[in-house]
Amino acid sequence: MDMFLYMDLNTYVHRLDPRTKLLLMFLSFAVGVMYKNIVMLVAALVLVLIYGGMGHILSNLKRIKVVLIMITLFSVVIWSIAQSGETRFLIFTLEGVLYGIMIAIKTNLMIVAGMVFLSTTKIEEIAEGLVKIKVPYRGAFAFSTAIRLVPMIVATSYTIIQAQKSRGLDLESGSLFEKIKKYVPLMIPTLVSVIRGTNVFSMALESKGFGYSNNRSNFLQLKMSGHDYLMMLIGLTIVAAASYLKFDPTAYNTLINLFPWGDFA
Amino acid sequence: MKDVFAMWKNTKMVVLVALSAGLYAALLIPFKGFVLIPGITEIRPASALPVVLGLLFGPAGAWGAAIGNLIGDFFGSLGIGSLFGFVGNFMFAYVPYKLWINLGLVSKEDSEPDLKSGRKILAYVIVSILGSAACALPIAWGLELLGMVPFAALGSIITINNSVPSVFLGIPIMLILYPRIKKWDLLWTEIMDEEDIPVAGKLSKIGGIVMTISILVGLVGGFLAALGVGQGLLYSGFGAGGDVGTAGVILIAGIGTAGLIISAFIQSMPKKEA
Repeated sequence: MDMFLYMDLNTYVHRLDPRTKLLLMFLSFAVGVMYKNIVMLVAALVLVLIYGGMGHILSNLKRIKVVLIMITLFSVVIWSIAQSGETRFLIFTLEGVLYGIMIAIKTNLMIVAGMVFLSTTKIEEIAEGLVKIKVPYRGAFAFSTAIRLVPMIVATSYTIIQAQKSRGLDLESGSLFEKIKKYVPLMIPTLVSVIRGTNVFSMALESKGFGYSNNRSNFLQLKMSGHDYLMMLIGLTIVAAASYLKFDPTAYNTLINLFPWGDFA
Repeated sequence: MKDVFAMWKNTKMVVLVALSAGLYAALLIPFKGFVLIPGITEIRPASALPVVLGLLFGPAGAWGAAIGNLIGDFFGSLGIGSLFGFVGNFMFAYVPYKLWINLGLVSKEDSEPDLKSGRKILAYVIVSILGSAACALPIAWGLELLGMVPFAALGSIITINNSVPSVFLGIPIMLILYPRIKKWDLLWTEIMDEEDIPVAGKLSKIGGIVMTISILVGLVGGFLAALGVGQGLLYSGFGAGGDVGTAGVILIAGIGTAGLIISAFIQSMPKKEA
């Protein structure tokens, strides 16, 4: 099973420089943080979905659908009870439902933007992109190595679990708490076996010249193209327009008057 | 905080960052479905690790916890909260190893985190709880600042969610791992160059005290301010309503967060004995 969201396709979004995609993700976060307005947040979410659609990765929404649904249900239920309002039915308020929807869209917008970034960008591209934006190479190396280690560590723990099962350990029976109690001791061999490799790992790295020079050469060469600048320009223009709308009282009041039910600023 | 940056020139410490991050992420990911606050946090048995990693691997454990949490967020919850999560989880591992000695909880003559005495176990429990609170403070403050999640609810949930595993699971893990790590010469004080391990002084003690006060003032003061504007602790924080993003909460918790970061810079650790 592939643990990661990345989809190996050759689309316009996949070909963009990771720095461009990183910027677009942060711009999506910025709009999400800036607004407490359902209409604006929905508009931002639609734009993110169009961007994801250009990368043909929206099928990954299925993989995070549980998270998205949970966020929506939790927000709507909790805030519909918590938020005071005039339109009440039982313990819920209509204002609370709308507020919950706004919070759900805001959170889901950021998570979908993160998903689009991860679905269209390889780990090595992220690491190299971080180096290009002046994150020290060793930090980027630790980051990309850690990501690669995750499936290996999970596989190690499965092997240990299977080995213990073959010796008669019953992990299926008992309550949830009892199951957790049985799994905890299985963590230890995983931790020990992973940490034990530290000395060999560092020797292997140094034998290949790790840290010899600060000016490293890379097989992967990142270069910004016209498409990157175009996408950056579009992203920055959208955020500039959103900022103008937010901070110009006349423009913002026009928006609120159009959809008075959707604003919570 | 010199050690936090100086460690990157040591290959073994870089490897320990990667391994710590990988382990933390690998233990976080299977529990992503056990949601406490959707998109923000979930049940985290993996919280047993940062304190252990911090005490054993020092700055490498702190960077590992921060990066590991970010990688965990890649599996369905990457968002603006991940930025505060990076800082919070760094502090989750960083605060315990700094306060272990600088707060005077263990004697300077026998400061190794082997948990072989009642005093050391008590010190472990105290630094675990302070580390958990230090993780909760910047995350809850950041999301309050952005008007996303009430400070009192999120701060209390994260503190408890981190404290319980780090105390109840962390102690047995530490007892089992410490002798092996010591035998393999992987304790951070054994790996790093002597000149990169900050020298003890009055400043370290002051830094430790300022760090503790900052955590307590930021979190407890933030809770009191939040309760004053109608928020509630734990899940009642969502039921209570109250304003999210109020100036008082942001100011008090912000002062605590700033104090936490500043105290990290002014702290030092004892020089390794020859």
